[in-house]
Amino acid sequence: MKKIILSLFGLILMFGCKNSEEKQTEEKESKEVNVYTHRHYESDQQLFKQFEEETGIKVNVINASADELIQKMSMEGEQSPADVLITVDAGRLERAKSKDLLQPIESEVLENTIASHLKDTDNYWFALTKRARVIAYAKDRVNPEELSTYEDLASEKWNGKLLIRSSGNIYNQSLMASMIVNNGEEEAKKWAEDVVDNMARSPKGNDRDQVKAVVAGEGDLAIVNTYYIGKMLNSDDPEEVKAGEKVGLFFPNQEGRGTHINVSGAGVAKYAPNKENAIKFIEFLVSEEAQKIFAHSNYEYPVNDAVEPAALLQEWGEFKEDTLNLSQLGQNNKKAVMLFDEAGWK
Amino acid sequence: MKQAGSSNIFSLKSRLNRLKRDTNRWSVFTLAIVGFIALPIISIGIKLFAGPGETWGHLVDNLFVDYIGNSFFLVFFCSVLVLLFGVSSAWLVSRFEFPFRKQMEWLLILPLAIPSYIVAYAYAGIFDYGGSFELLLRFFNMEFIRIDMMNKYGLAFVLSISLFPYVYVSSRAFFLDQAGNLLEASTMLGIGEFRSFFKLILPLARPAIIAGLILVLMEVLNDYGAAQYFGVNTFTTGIFRAWFALEEPETAIYLSALLITFVFALILFEKWQRKNMQVASQKASKFSHRKEFKKSAQWLIFLIVLIPVSFGFFIPLSQLIYWAVLTAGNVFDLDFLMLSLQSFWIAFVTSVVTVIFATLLIYFAKWSSISTVKSISKLGILGYAIPGAVVAIGIMIPTLALDKWIIGVMNDYFGISTGLLINGSLVALVYAYAVRFLAVAYNPIESTGLKVSSSIPDSSRMLGVGHFKTFFRVEFPLIKTGILSAIILVFIDVMKELPLTLILKPFHINTLAVKAFEYASDEMVMEAAIPSLFIIFTAAIPVIFLNRLLIKD
Amino acid sequence: MLIVDSLSKSFDKGKSFALKDVSFKLEQGDVCAIVGESGSGKTTLVRLIAGLERPDGGVINLEGKEVSSIKKLVPPEKRNIGLVFQEYALFPHFDLLKNVMYGISKLKNKKERAKEILELVGLSGMEHRYPHQLSGGQQQRVALARALAPNPSLLILDEPFSNLDAMLRMQLRSQVFEIIKKTGVTAIFVTHDTQDALSVADEILILQNGKIIQKDQPANLYIKPSSIYVASLFGNTIQLNKEMQTAFDCPLNPKCDHAIRNENLSINEECEYVTHARVLKKTFLGTGTQLLLKLDNGQKISVITKEREVADRIKIGFNSTDLLEFAG
Repeated sequence: MKKIILSLFGLILMFGCKNSEEKQTEEKESKEVNVYTHRHYESDQQLFKQFEEETGIKVNVINASADELIQKMSMEGEQSPADVLITVDAGRLERAKSKDLLQPIESEVLENTIASHLKDTDNYWFALTKRARVIAYAKDRVNPEELSTYEDLASEKWNGKLLIRSSGNIYNQSLMASMIVNNGEEEAKKWAEDVVDNMARSPKGNDRDQVKAVVAGEGDLAIVNTYYIGKMLNSDDPEEVKAGEKVGLFFPNQEGRGTHINVSGAGVAKYAPNKENAIKFIEFLVSEEAQKIFAHSNYEYPVNDAVEPAALLQEWGEFKEDTLNLSQLGQNNKKAVMLFDEAGWK
Repeated sequence: MKQAGSSNIFSLKSRLNRLKRDTNRWSVFTLAIVGFIALPIISIGIKLFAGPGETWGHLVDNLFVDYIGNSFFLVFFCSVLVLLFGVSSAWLVSRFEFPFRKQMEWLLILPLAIPSYIVAYAYAGIFDYGGSFELLLRFFNMEFIRIDMMNKYGLAFVLSISLFPYVYVSSRAFFLDQAGNLLEASTMLGIGEFRSFFKLILPLARPAIIAGLILVLMEVLNDYGAAQYFGVNTFTTGIFRAWFALEEPETAIYLSALLITFVFALILFEKWQRKNMQVASQKASKFSHRKEFKKSAQWLIFLIVLIPVSFGFFIPLSQLIYWAVLTAGNVFDLDFLMLSLQSFWIAFVTSVVTVIFATLLIYFAKWSSISTVKSISKLGILGYAIPGAVVAIGIMIPTLALDKWIIGVMNDYFGISTGLLINGSLVALVYAYAVRFLAVAYNPIESTGLKVSSSIPDSSRMLGVGHFKTFFRVEFPLIKTGILSAIILVFIDVMKELPLTLILKPFHINTLAVKAFEYASDEMVMEAAIPSLFIIFTAAIPVIFLNRLLIKD
Repeated sequence: MLIVDSLSKSFDKGKSFALKDVSFKLEQGDVCAIVGESGSGKTTLVRLIAGLERPDGGVINLEGKEVSSIKKLVPPEKRNIGLVFQEYALFPHFDLLKNVMYGISKLKNKKERAKEILELVGLSGMEHRYPHQLSGGQQQRVALARALAPNPSLLILDEPFSNLDAMLRMQLRSQVFEIIKKTGVTAIFVTHDTQDALSVADEILILQNGKIIQKDQPANLYIKPSSIYVASLFGNTIQLNKEMQTAFDCPLNPKCDHAIRNENLSINEECEYVTHARVLKKTFLGTGTQLLLKLDNGQKISVITKEREVADRIKIGFNSTDLLEFAG
């Protein structure tokens, strides 16, 4: 009995000490940066390795959903080992900021590279990549000239034709938040209700599934993020490529405020033990070489204007983006979810 | 005569004296373990007093009907399907001889090796536009019939087909062990085999079947991945929504308290059932031989048993293999092998630790002489009823407090800055797994323990040997199979576990389940196939081994 | 050497008693039988003495040391009591030698001691067999050997012969108690079979509903049972109620209960008290015949007689020396 307890205790100490050793070396030499990220793409792995090679700073990664990471950081408080928080939407960064988990950073590089609507007004966070939330339509059934705005999706003519995923998805929440900011709560709720009426089926699956459903003829229009189309067209599964080729992309609201975009972005944690490395790390991610990798392997739009988007994205043409400051999306996120619920958007 | 008669032995003083006398170290140890295991649950329970968040009303108004409706639908439909698949296949393999029966015995357990959210992805992929089903029809020049899996019916099917082995295993154990004499007696009375099964065997097997069913229902109610992907709102998806989308952990905790209450009601129901069915524990009586029909009928039985095996294992497995072949180049590398190894080790260490805890809890409670302590010890298995993500938060609350205390002490007295020692280390992760899966280890150990007559350890003690030595010298050798089964079951569960791992895993460490999830959540479902296959592979081998143990037992 | 004082054990927090105020003493070398029907508390009593159960009240003294009270309990492994369980409880994964050595692992010459004791119970040469390879009687003797090996100050046998068939039982009973006498150990054995008790015990203790109703030497118990219940435990007894007394014409002390043993009834012989009866039914039992009699005053009784041939009408009677009298 005693032996068991002792060895258990020993085990705890062993793991514990190992952990603390790491911490201590961190502080002395600061050759590490701890990254909490919601992004888990191969391209990111590649970038982290490149960063390690160039700077000699080791990148430690925890992958989880942004919600869980934020929860974790807020519980860890001052002791949090996190240096950088990366999410795939501005809403979550804004939430982290409002929960006092981030700190403002001064960096000329970031200041100069990133457009003002793509970063926090107080420099708590910065966008890394952009995605546009667009309409994918069945080429054989829909004349793109019939398409105009997000608002138009609520109109009678799309009854039973619309495919969109569930309201639990952050991209839909961000879109809804932008509707609230642009048109007011009342209008936004009315819009959501009408969109629900127009749905071809109850919301389910992910963005790619919506596109496939369009191709299968379940509906005519799908609301999706651009980079998923890019990925489908370059998929290993020939059937996915075929599906991707059968839809056309339409960028809504070109006449007005521009197409809704969401971003993935990064901020420095309030209690970052390796703040300097964290800033270096984010600067690296918006540098031309890093942005090229983002753009070409993941079909996202770069935030660094010096970098051209991938060839495929260039084919789709340039578009006007909604320059609404993304902080506002986060501030209206919860409202958006509640309006979705009230409108019966599952 | 120092002692007065029995008249005053129930006076308060005598009671206190006895309580003092009967409080041994085992009682204290039992309470310590229960406390340790229940600590995260208690930490969350305390939060209930803070009341639900402000969106509680919103939730009740707009979503509650949906959550309750869907959850009940799933409980009902899954019960029906799981009983149908599980009990029928268990009866067929234990009563009849047919081709490949031996192989079927373990194949029927294998669906457990595939995480249910992976089964969900596989089936969605099969019946997708351009999915395998369509390709198959195209190949035979047949017209495409679209079957939509992604709704509550599909979800009930997917969950049932991947979880029915729990019922299969528990009912087969009963059939193999108990049904022999019963059936003989019944057929001697001129009652046909078919009627005997429904009138006699089934009612007597009920406690065993229900025990398996309860495990299934806990998993069904806890499922997040499959329900979320299929767009079915349940209590558990609601917990995640309240917590993350509505940013109200308080509301999420309220929802999970409701869920726990429901699961607890199920457990109590099962206990009550067992009490009413004491008759079931008779002397073992095995079938003297399996019934042999003529060849054609045997092949028919084979085909019937093949149905759940195919739907639960072969079909999703084929889809995963197909995807794996398409994506092998992108996923497979040295890092991936390292990751598999890490997964394996974490699952192994965890299962051993969890089984040690479960064994200590069971035996300390047994050695404690206070009946209240024995009842309290059962609280240790509550973790299984709680969603993994909630357990993770429950772990973080006390361990962070401890960490912060250690940091304070180290700083004040030694001037050393330690950082978080327990959080973000394997200790916290293994602790969380142990809390979550203690019930999984508890059941097989307890039930094999019950088969050892209490006079065996008693006689050891009469020969001058204390509890601990008695356990190692006499009881442990007799419950070895139970302990091994427990290790294997926990191992498989840890290999598959997701939400808890996501939140608590340390830097540098990754598991196959997390890898699969990362791909899938990034809409790279195909790439998720290879890690999934590795999970299946590492879980399947112990499953086959487990089957051997169960049969020998 | 064993003093049990006011021992009580309740269930359901005092709602019902398994044992109530049980007190008795045992001298060194005594063999004591505890007799009672199932549910009388006899197994509870020995488990309390062994330390496997916890009493709610009372004291147990063993060899001058207090081993059990409401303040203190010596655990079973420290009591030096040997216990042979009803189902023997041999360790299935050890061979005989290891089973017997189990309790004496600290002895230097444990192997010799184990072999010696196996020889005592007549199982030498079977040291390396496993329990499942033995017959019931052999298992019983291994269990005995294992319990005796550590030289216990008290040996308890719980229903030692209940799992054996009648033939084996007689044979084993004499063997087992021969061994016990040889070792000189103080022993308690629990049984519901009075034949066992009468034939081997120095003293018999009778339990009913958790209380001791009589404790005496076998002969005394037989001759002077304290109640009809005790009398009937040791053979068929016919109660002499008012009607019976009239039938036999023997007015007895009305303040007491009376009975007569079946074997003391004589048929067609001269006795102090007699009556006539008609035989309603004869049942052949092998060793004798069971008769259903209707006495002349209409009372029906059932008696067993050694006679094979019985007339339809008989004279039946008994002597006053054979009367059993119980204080009412």
